[in-house]
Amino acid sequence: MTELLTRLVRKPQGAIGLALLIVLAAACVCGPWFAPYAPEKMDFLGRFRAPGWQHWLGADQFGRDVMSRLLVGTRATIPMALAATLIGSGTGAMIGTASAYLGGRLDEIIMRTIDAVMAIPGLLMALLLVSTLGNGAGNAVLAIAVAFTPSMVRITRAVALSVRHQDYVKVALARGEGAAWIVFREMLPNVMAPIVIEATIRVSFAIMLFATLSFLGLGAQPPASEWGLMVAEARQYMHQAPWVLIAPSAAIALAAIAFNLVGDGLRDALNPKDER
Amino acid sequence: MTFAWLVRRLLLMLYTIVIVGVLVFAITQALPADAAQTLLGENASPEALAAVRERLGLNDPVWLQFVHWATRAAAGDFGVSMRTGLPVAPEMLTALSRSLLLAVCALIVTVAVAVPLGIFAALRQGRLADTVTSVVAYLGVSLPEFVTATVLTLLLTDKLPFLPATGYVSPLEDVGSAIRHLVLPVLTVSVILIAHVMRMMRSETLDVLQSDYIRAARLKGLPERTVLARHALRNALLPVVTIIALDVGYLLGGIIVIEEIFAIPGIGRALMIAITTRDLPSIQAGAVIMAVTYALTNTAADVVYALLDRRIRYD
Amino acid sequence: MTPALSIQNYGLDYVTSAGPVEVLRNISLEIAPGEVLGLVGESGSGKSSLAWALMRHLPRNAREISGSLKLSDIDLRQLAPKQLTGVRGRRIGMVFQDPSTALNPTLTIGRQITEALQRHRGLRPREADALAIELLGHVELRNPAAIMRRYPHEISGGEKQRVVIATAFGCRPEVILFDEPTTALDVITGARILDLFARLRTETRVAALYISHDLAMMTRVADRVAVIKHGRVVEQAGAAEIFRAPRAAETRALVAAVPRPERRLIHDTPDETVVLAAKAIGVRYGNRGLFRAAPPPATNAIAFSIRAGEILGLVGESGSGKSSMARALTGLARFSGEISFAGRTLRGAQDMNAAYRRDVQIVFQHPDASLNPRHRVGEILSRPLKLYGGNPADIARMLDQVRLPASYAQRFPHQLSGGEKQRVAIARAFATRPKLVICDEITAPLDVSVQAQIIELLLALRAETGAAYLFITHDLNLIRQIAHRIAVMRRGELVDCLPVEDFDADHVHPYTSELMAASPVPVG
Repeated sequence: MTELLTRLVRKPQGAIGLALLIVLAAACVCGPWFAPYAPEKMDFLGRFRAPGWQHWLGADQFGRDVMSRLLVGTRATIPMALAATLIGSGTGAMIGTASAYLGGRLDEIIMRTIDAVMAIPGLLMALLLVSTLGNGAGNAVLAIAVAFTPSMVRITRAVALSVRHQDYVKVALARGEGAAWIVFREMLPNVMAPIVIEATIRVSFAIMLFATLSFLGLGAQPPASEWGLMVAEARQYMHQAPWVLIAPSAAIALAAIAFNLVGDGLRDALNPKDER
Repeated sequence: MTFAWLVRRLLLMLYTIVIVGVLVFAITQALPADAAQTLLGENASPEALAAVRERLGLNDPVWLQFVHWATRAAAGDFGVSMRTGLPVAPEMLTALSRSLLLAVCALIVTVAVAVPLGIFAALRQGRLADTVTSVVAYLGVSLPEFVTATVLTLLLTDKLPFLPATGYVSPLEDVGSAIRHLVLPVLTVSVILIAHVMRMMRSETLDVLQSDYIRAARLKGLPERTVLARHALRNALLPVVTIIALDVGYLLGGIIVIEEIFAIPGIGRALMIAITTRDLPSIQAGAVIMAVTYALTNTAADVVYALLDRRIRYD
Repeated sequence: MTPALSIQNYGLDYVTSAGPVEVLRNISLEIAPGEVLGLVGESGSGKSSLAWALMRHLPRNAREISGSLKLSDIDLRQLAPKQLTGVRGRRIGMVFQDPSTALNPTLTIGRQITEALQRHRGLRPREADALAIELLGHVELRNPAAIMRRYPHEISGGEKQRVVIATAFGCRPEVILFDEPTTALDVITGARILDLFARLRTETRVAALYISHDLAMMTRVADRVAVIKHGRVVEQAGAAEIFRAPRAAETRALVAAVPRPERRLIHDTPDETVVLAAKAIGVRYGNRGLFRAAPPPATNAIAFSIRAGEILGLVGESGSGKSSMARALTGLARFSGEISFAGRTLRGAQDMNAAYRRDVQIVFQHPDASLNPRHRVGEILSRPLKLYGGNPADIARMLDQVRLPASYAQRFPHQLSGGEKQRVAIARAFATRPKLVICDEITAPLDVSVQAQIIELLLALRAETGAAYLFITHDLNLIRQIAHRIAVMRRGELVDCLPVEDFDADHVHPYTSELMAASPVPVG
C-alpha cells in the first residue's frame, strides 16, 4: 500500500490529486466545525457582501456566508457521489465479471442489451428515474448509480475477458478447479486494479451529475448547501455578486479534478512501465 | 463490408430501439406503484385520479399497457400531452429539429477546432504547447455543463452586450438574430466537446505516431512532412467518425442542461418541462426520440467507418 | 579500401529512473563492401540497439557516450536531421523484424514501394511503378502487378517480408541492416526468406549487418560472425570457424546450447504400456452463427498414443493444430473422438475426473501469462498439492527439484526471470507426480542457453518420476535430440508419426522433408 502511494505521488498529477483529495476529505469530515458561521444563518445587513475579512468568500443574497456553505456542502455532495459510484460500480462489476465468465451466447445477449441501455444518455436516465422516484438526494444517488451501471458493466467485462483468456486461468481450468475458485481467487484479484481506477474517475462524473441534478431542481432541495443548488440560486444575481457563483463552481471543479487526477495517477502507478 | 454485416447491424439497431422502449416505459409507467398519483401529486382528488387512470389506460395489466403503448409508438403516435392537450409527437419532433440545429453547429465548430488541436498537441508531445492544451482540456472535461455555461455567460455578456444571454430565434424568421442567439449556447457546447474530442484525437494520433509503420516510413528516408501527411494523418483521422458518434452521446446528455440554461425550445427543454409538469406522454416521447437519435447516429457512424477502414473485415 | 560500415569503440547508455543502464560498450566492428556480418546475441544483449543507433533512431533517453559510427566516408553521428533523410534508405536500408507492423495498413503495397523509389532513385511515377513490379517479381512474388494494388492485410506474412526486402534492395543502398527478419515467420517461410536473401546478396553485392539470436542459422547466412553479450562483443570470427572452434567462454556456451539432432540426450527406450491413446480427435472453434459459415476445424481426426515414460514430439508450424491437441487433451477445448486413459474412455471435458486431472498436466508457452501475477510462488505451488492430497511442506522440495532456492516461495512472479518462471510452472505441473506432462512450446520464448537448461531439467525430472512427455514445438532439431517418436502435423492433419531413428529416411512425407530442409543443421 505504501509502495503504491509513493508511486502515486512521484508524478505531479498524482501528487496534486492526492493533496486535493486530502483537503476534500478534511472538509468533509470536519468542515462544519471549521465553518465560521452556521450555513443557514441569514444576515440581511450583509447581503451580497464582497469577499473580505468578515466573509472570506463573500455572502449570498440572504447574507449567508459562502465559505461556510461550501464547507458544509462538501458533505452534501461528496459522500453521495461516492455512494452512487460504489453502488453502480459494484453492481456493474458483478454483472460484467459474470458475463465474461459465462461467455458464449449469454455473454453476447447481455452485452447487446447493455449497449442498448447505453443509448439512453446518463443524465436522461437519472432524470427519468428521479422523476419517478421523487426529488431528493437519496433518490438522486440511486438514479446515478443505475445510470452508471451499464458503462461499468462494459469496462468490467472487457477486463474480465482479458483475464479469463490468460494462461493461468487455463491452467486452473485444466486442474479441474471449480468456477467459484476461478472467479474469486484467480480472476478477481487481477480485475480489481483497472476497476478501482475506473471507479475513481467515475466519482468525478458522479459529482458533476449530482450537482447537475441539484441545479435542475431534482436533487438536493433548498435550503441544503449543495454546490449545484448554490450555483442555481446564484445565477440570477450573477452580475451583482459573481463570487456567489464562482465559489461553488470552483468547488465542483476542484472536487471533480481531484478524483480525475487520482484516477489517472493510479493508472500510471499500477502499471509498471518499461523504460527501455 | 458485406450485406450480411449490414443486416446484422440494422437488426442490432432495432434491438436497441426495442430495449429503449421497454426501459422508458418501465421506468415511467410500470415502475411507479401508482403512475396517476405520481402525475397528479399528493393532493389530487380520487375522481381526478380515476379520470387520469382511465385516460392513460392505467387500469390494464402492465404488459397490455406496454403493447398498446409500443404499437402506437411504432406508428409515431405517442399520445396527447397532458399539459397542452396537443399531440405529443409533432411537438417533440419540432423541438428536436431546433436541437439538431444547435447540435450540428456545435459539432462543426468542435471538429474544426478539436481535430487539428489534438493532432497538433500530439506532434508537440511533452512540449509546452502540449502541456498547456492538455491542462485546458482537462479542465474542460472536469466542469459540468451548467458551470461552463454559467461562467461563459458571466464572462461574455458583460463584454459583448449584443449577445443575448438566453432565448431563441428561428433562422427562418431572422438569420442575424438567430445567429446572435445561438452564439453562447453553441460556444458552451463546443467548449465541452472540444475538450473531449481533443483528448481523444491526441491519444489516437500519439498511438499512430508511435507505431511501427511510421518508424519504418521514417527509416525509409522519407522526409518528415511526407511521413506525417501521407502516412500518419490518414490513420489518425480514421477514428474521427467514431469520435463524432461518441460526441453525439455527450451532446445529448448535456443538451438538456444547455437548453434549460439558455431557454432554447429544443427537445432537452421540452423534456425538462415535461418532467417538471409530470406530463407522462411527453416524457416518454422525448426520451424515446433522444435515444433513437443516438442509436441511429451510432449505426450511421459504424457504416461510414466500415466503408472507410479497409482493415475491418466482416464475415 | 574503406569499409562499408565502420563502428569504432561505440558506447551507449539508456537513462532510466534507476540511473543510467549500460547498453553497449566498446563496440568495434567493420563490414567490408559486399560482406555480410552476422551479429548474434541473446535477448538483452543490445544487438537491436546497435541497429537503431546506426539508423539514428534511438529513444529519447539514450545517451551515446563514446565512439564513432561511419558509413563509408560519412560520420553518422554528425549528421543533421535534414541530412538524415538523404542517408536513410538511400545509403543504409533496414529490414525489420515484424513485417505485419512495418507496412502502413491504409496504403497500397505499390504506393509504399514507389514512394521510396521515387525519393531515392529520382524516378517519375510511371517509371517507379514499372520498377516496383520488376522488383516484386525478383523477390519471387507471384502476380506482382496485382500485389501492387493490394493492401497489407490482404497478403501473407512471408509475402509482406518480401515486399519490405524488395523495397530495401530496390533503393540500392550500400549497407542493409536486417533485424531478425525471420523470427516472426514460420520455419519454412523463414527458410525461404533466407534463401532469397542469399541470392539477392550475391547478385547485388550489398554489405549487410544481419542480427539474430540464432547462431546456427547465422553460420549459413553470414561471412563473419560477431557474438555480443551484455553489450560487449566477446568474439569475432569467420562463420564456420566460430561454430567449429569457439574461443571465448560465452561463445562456447552458446555453441554448446544449440540443439543438434545428431547429439542424442535420451538413450533409453520406453516400455510398451500405453498411457494415453487419442482416437479421431477433432477440435473445432466457433459455431455457425447467424449469417456466418462455420470455420474449418483446427484438427481433423487425429490419432496417436503415448507410452509410459515416452517422449512424443509433436511438430508443426503455426495453424497446424498442435496447440489445439494440447487443449483437447486437457479439456480446455471441446473435441469429438475419444481419449483412453487408465482404462477409461473419455469423450469430453466432463468425463475428465480428478484422477485424470492429476495424472495429465500441462505447461504453457508464456511463463508471464501462466503464473497468476497476484499470487506468490508458494501459493501457486501449494494449490495443486491441496487439491490432490499432497503435503504443503513439500514446497521447498519442489523448488529444489527445479533448482530454485526455497526462498523463492515468498516472491511474486514479476520478481523472477523468464527461465525461472518456467521452472515454477514445471514444478507446479510435477507437484502431483503426473503420468503425462504436456509441454506446449515451453522453450520457444526463451534464449537458447536458458532453453538448454530447461531441457536438462525436464530430462532429470523424467528420470526421477518416470513421467511421459508430449512435447510440442516447432524446432525440429531440438525435438530430434530428446524424443523417442515424432509426430508431424500440418493444417489439422497428422502427416507423419515416426520413431526418431527413421527421420532421415527417404520415405517420410514430403512436408516432413520440407520441414527438415528448413531447419538448418549448423555447419561445423
